[in-house]
Amino acid sequence: MNAQLWAVAVAGIVVLAAACLEIFRARRARLQSAGATAESASEPYILYFTGDGCTVCRTHQEPALAKLGDVRIDKVDAIADRALADRFHVYTLPTTVVLSPDGHALHVNYGYATAPKLERQLAEARGTLQTATA
Amino acid sequence: MGQLDQGPHREVVVANQLVDHSALKVNQTGIVTTVLIAFIGSAFYRPLLVLIPLLAIVLLLGTFAPQLALFKQFYFKVLKPRGIVKPRPVQDRPEPHNFAQGLGGVFLAVASVFLIPLPVVGLALSLLVAVLAFVNLAFGYCLGCQIYFQLGKAGLIKAS
Repeated sequence: MNAQLWAVAVAGIVVLAAACLEIFRARRARLQSAGATAESASEPYILYFTGDGCTVCRTHQEPALAKLGDVRIDKVDAIADRALADRFHVYTLPTTVVLSPDGHALHVNYGYATAPKLERQLAEARGTLQTATA
Repeated sequence: MGQLDQGPHREVVVANQLVDHSALKVNQTGIVTTVLIAFIGSAFYRPLLVLIPLLAIVLLLGTFAPQLALFKQFYFKVLKPRGIVKPRPVQDRPEPHNFAQGLGGVFLAVASVFLIPLPVVGLALSLLVAVLAFVNLAFGYCLGCQIYFQLGKAGLIKAS
């Protein structure tokens, strides 16, 4: 039984370390992609990085994106369009980027982003637009 | 409704294969259950540790020859025909899932080597495989698939 308890402790430490590393990695990628730009548009839009091997993209992310209101979503293959993926430091799939009309990244979500979260970020992007035009 | 706009300069590869995700879930359930039986059971009856190398063999065989994937075959031959588990086909590619399964098999093979001289290391590695299989089963997050994506991005394997 002693070996089992030690094994649980070791596995727990590894899982905890991996979780901390993931948080650090996401923060660093978010910082590095701050200020990154894509093409401009008339309204805020979303860049959706995916790949044909990404299951969560199809089972979770795409249904969440379909729930959003009238918004432009550019679906990008992260491997085929590596230059664009690298610009936003896409290290995991799915990744969604909410961009302002001038193409600046306002929010970068690494991993699955829920529809309410994306709606909130889009509303914020539209609010920024209204403040700028007022 | 959100509109998925591919854009004129974007290249979007769409998976045109169907993968039955119920088979994957049964496979993950099998991995978690087997590791837990070996892990808890070995505290009372040590020979149950043999389940770890056996599981490693099953996973590695299933990676290279899908017809030998024990849990998936159990689903296709028993659970699905009897309606015990309903099929859930999803447009997907089987390669990342096979890669993840193979990775699990390799980790369990390494764990098997350590089980006798360093049981804590062997058991901890087995437990990590079970945790990752459970995360995939419960939350749909597949670490092996993410590693597959990273390798594809680095050009080490053809991921698209």
